[in-house]
Amino acid sequence: MSIAVPAPSTIAPAVPPAAPAPAATGRIPGSKAMWVGIFCELTEFALLFAVFFVARAHHPEAFSAGPSRLSLLAGTGYTLMLLTSGWCVARAVHAMRSGKRSHCMRWLVGALVFGLGYPAIKVFELQRNFAHGLDGSAGVFIVSYYYLTFTHLVHVFWGLLGMLWVMARTGLGAYTPEDHGGLEAFACYWHVTDMLWLMIFPLFYLLG
Amino acid sequence: MNAERKLDLAWVALVLLSIGGARLGSGDDDGFAIAVLVALVMAVKLLIVSRYFLELHEAHPRIRKAVYLFCYGMPILVILTTGFREPLARLTGAALI
Repeated sequence: MSIAVPAPSTIAPAVPPAAPAPAATGRIPGSKAMWVGIFCELTEFALLFAVFFVARAHHPEAFSAGPSRLSLLAGTGYTLMLLTSGWCVARAVHAMRSGKRSHCMRWLVGALVFGLGYPAIKVFELQRNFAHGLDGSAGVFIVSYYYLTFTHLVHVFWGLLGMLWVMARTGLGAYTPEDHGGLEAFACYWHVTDMLWLMIFPLFYLLG
Repeated sequence: MNAERKLDLAWVALVLLSIGGARLGSGDDDGFAIAVLVALVMAVKLLIVSRYFLELHEAHPRIRKAVYLFCYGMPILVILTTGFREPLARLTGAALI
């Protein structure tokens, strides 16, 4: 009995075609739903930034004198707290990818501690501002400052709640090195919230 | 250099840029040059966060482009709205009326 063997030229290739380079296709970090939320957040802030730039164009004197009325120390403090918290979150994601769940948890605890530094500084800054008469009637610069920074504070609170959620999930062993999309999705939100502060900080504390 | 080491160095760079950048606001200088410097520091910090923390270089092109639009767009807007403050006021004043 003979077995028909196809000619070499007709054999289908054993090796599948090479996958496209990651840079060309990329992946969706976290989840699609989180990125829909992030783009809603970016759109919201884009509108608020537009209002800021228009108000600054119409009231150059108020915005030029504005930064000297605020506490640069507090502004720099927020920046350092959020950047350090973001760094801890990035390290937590890397620890989870390496299968080091306890390390991941420790980095998340660090992220929470530094993240809580943001509202803590806010309390002290608000006390200082009100003592200096910087309330809602203190002019267009201060009003712009409050609406943008309070909106950002709300997003930081969502992030802190999300951080508690991923900490609980990490503690319960819900994430694995292969499947930790929830942790990544939270990390994306936290980094974008961090980036928004990196835009807000110079507008009010440096530029005016 | 491993990924963790890169993250650590990115954080150090961000802290140094934040502290150094804050000094821009403590001087008496004013005007366009300060706005350009502030915008440059802002852009570098945004790109570091997006590259190393957010890992945007691995993300889907649409996500990457949209976030980079913000990273480059905001510093450019800072410079443009400082340099063309009066035309912007005239334009938006007319639109508001």
